[in-house]
Amino acid sequence: MKPVDFDANVLTPHMARILEARDMTAQERFFRLQLPRPLNHRPGQFVMASIPGIGEAPISISCGPRDDDQLELLVRNTGSLTRTMHQLQAGDAMGIRGPFGSGFELTEFEGHDVIFVAGGLGLAPLRSLIEPVVGDPQRFGRATLISGCRTPADELYREQMQAWAKLPNTRIIRLVNDTAHLPWNGEVGLVTAPIAKLEMDVPNTLAVLCGPPVMYKFVIMALAARGLPSAQIFIDLERRMRCGIGKCGHCQINHVTCCQEGPVFRFSDLESLPEALT
Amino acid sequence: MREFLATRTAVLDWLRTLGQQGDVFFPQPMGENSFNFDKVRKNSLLAFEDFDAGSKDKPFRASTCVQPPGKRLSPNNEQIFRFSKNGNGEYQLTPTLDERERILAGVRPCDLKAIHLMDRVNSDGIPDAHYLSRRQNTAIIAHDCLQPCDEHCFCDATDSLHWRQGADVFLTPQPEAQLLMEALTECGEQLLSAAGFPPCDDIEKRRALAEEKRAKPFGRHFDAPLQQVIDAVSNSWESPVWDKHVERCFACGTCNLVCPTCYCFDLQDDFNIGDPDSGQRTRSWDGCMLEEFAVVAGGHNFRPQLAARQRHRIKRKLAYLPARFGDGSFCVGCGRCGHQCTVDIDIFDIANDLLAATEAKP
Repeated sequence: MKPVDFDANVLTPHMARILEARDMTAQERFFRLQLPRPLNHRPGQFVMASIPGIGEAPISISCGPRDDDQLELLVRNTGSLTRTMHQLQAGDAMGIRGPFGSGFELTEFEGHDVIFVAGGLGLAPLRSLIEPVVGDPQRFGRATLISGCRTPADELYREQMQAWAKLPNTRIIRLVNDTAHLPWNGEVGLVTAPIAKLEMDVPNTLAVLCGPPVMYKFVIMALAARGLPSAQIFIDLERRMRCGIGKCGHCQINHVTCCQEGPVFRFSDLESLPEALT
Repeated sequence: MREFLATRTAVLDWLRTLGQQGDVFFPQPMGENSFNFDKVRKNSLLAFEDFDAGSKDKPFRASTCVQPPGKRLSPNNEQIFRFSKNGNGEYQLTPTLDERERILAGVRPCDLKAIHLMDRVNSDGIPDAHYLSRRQNTAIIAHDCLQPCDEHCFCDATDSLHWRQGADVFLTPQPEAQLLMEALTECGEQLLSAAGFPPCDDIEKRRALAEEKRAKPFGRHFDAPLQQVIDAVSNSWESPVWDKHVERCFACGTCNLVCPTCYCFDLQDDFNIGDPDSGQRTRSWDGCMLEEFAVVAGGHNFRPQLAARQRHRIKRKLAYLPARFGDGSFCVGCGRCGHQCTVDIDIFDIANDLLAATEAKP
């Protein structure tokens, strides 16, 4: 019988070394990893991150494409695996499989103004696209980031957002739902509010959304009210993903496999998928 | 490819001999009315139904096994890799690939088609090495059905009854307790040649004999041709039919468990008891009817309603996966889900109801 001559390691992670680990908020911990080989990822892709013996979970890649063999992840403490990950320190090991998913095609953004709308942890995956876009003003148009979170204590990548704000052709709008009596130099309100008054060259604008499911409906309504067609809106969807290779079935949205065709979708492609924005 | 003719007894003896030499799986009685696709051992009760047997003979030898044969290619609690950690905190991960040779014998056309569909799924995009290594080391000896296995069968309605692709050897019942044995692949040819069976020199006549004997109509049929069923299921999103059948469903997942084209899984990590520096990751079967199937971290459930989960299951079989793979229905009509369902929910009835609801629309 025929020998098997393919890479058997697709469900077996490579072990990465943690170079840097620090709490960004009470809930989120930032990791910079040294991989055994370059990941060659695209913005918007994800990896399956694990601790052998504890478990595995899909984690969005939060850094832009890079030439070296490093990777940045932001992990929210939501369960037994991520709780254990929050105890990991520099020098510890983490299992990584991937990159998986289609991600963003950077060439589609060339010459366009881009509006990023991030809700909470949604900023982490969007950062993988924001970095290359704000870093190359010759290649891309004006970048606008609208980032919202619950309170000032929940804000992610604060210093980086302040650095981005100083770049040419870049607008950063930071919001909280509630200042919670903490010092705050941004705005107060929902991410939908700034969209109504945003200076916008509609035909040349692309919007990219990532946040909790409840955010999408209202942000899309706000963008539609400004006349932005659904083909110019990209959405990063969250689903349960166990394998990353389109086999385990958990992430299926109607006939689409989120880990393969997604998790980034053009909104116009989601209109035929009634399960997409539930 | 060559054809042979032998008595049923000779073929069963041959399977028993093969079972002594390696892993051979064959349908074996489990309780009074059902069969289990189990390993052939020295004292195994092996049998095929007679050419003249009717499906009212109980237990009928052509009855489907409760678990489909294809599940042997993606077993529950399958080890994916082993790991160990040394004193410096460095991990060693070793993927587990099952490359043992095995034979699945007595596989019926519906299950053969299901294995073909699972081959497609597991080769699609990024291939699943664990399934494929097992598959590539597996020979299949399939057996034709001249009578429907039971009242749940609707394999002819889903284009499975005449399926042969994927079989290495194909057996067809013949009069006088004989079996026509056709090699369909090199591997099948080698298996049969090594056995020394007498050649068959009137193959066309033998095939015609079996065709003449085959029950007509064969099993249950939808109220319309298969393509119309697929269209009706594909075009039904909001339909009262989705609420009708699910009313009595317990969401137990039995339909997922016995379906030959349900392949969803979960992954689970474990430490070895007594050595917390080593362990393994295994995958276990999962089912889209179960409540937690689409729950993400933080607790949001993308398919909380039972009716939405049933719609998803039915659409996977008769709409989503047929559209994705272009290989016809992913329901192979084996009848297991309806047969094993504790409250008699049957995909066949759901499909017919959707068909009727679609036709009733102006």
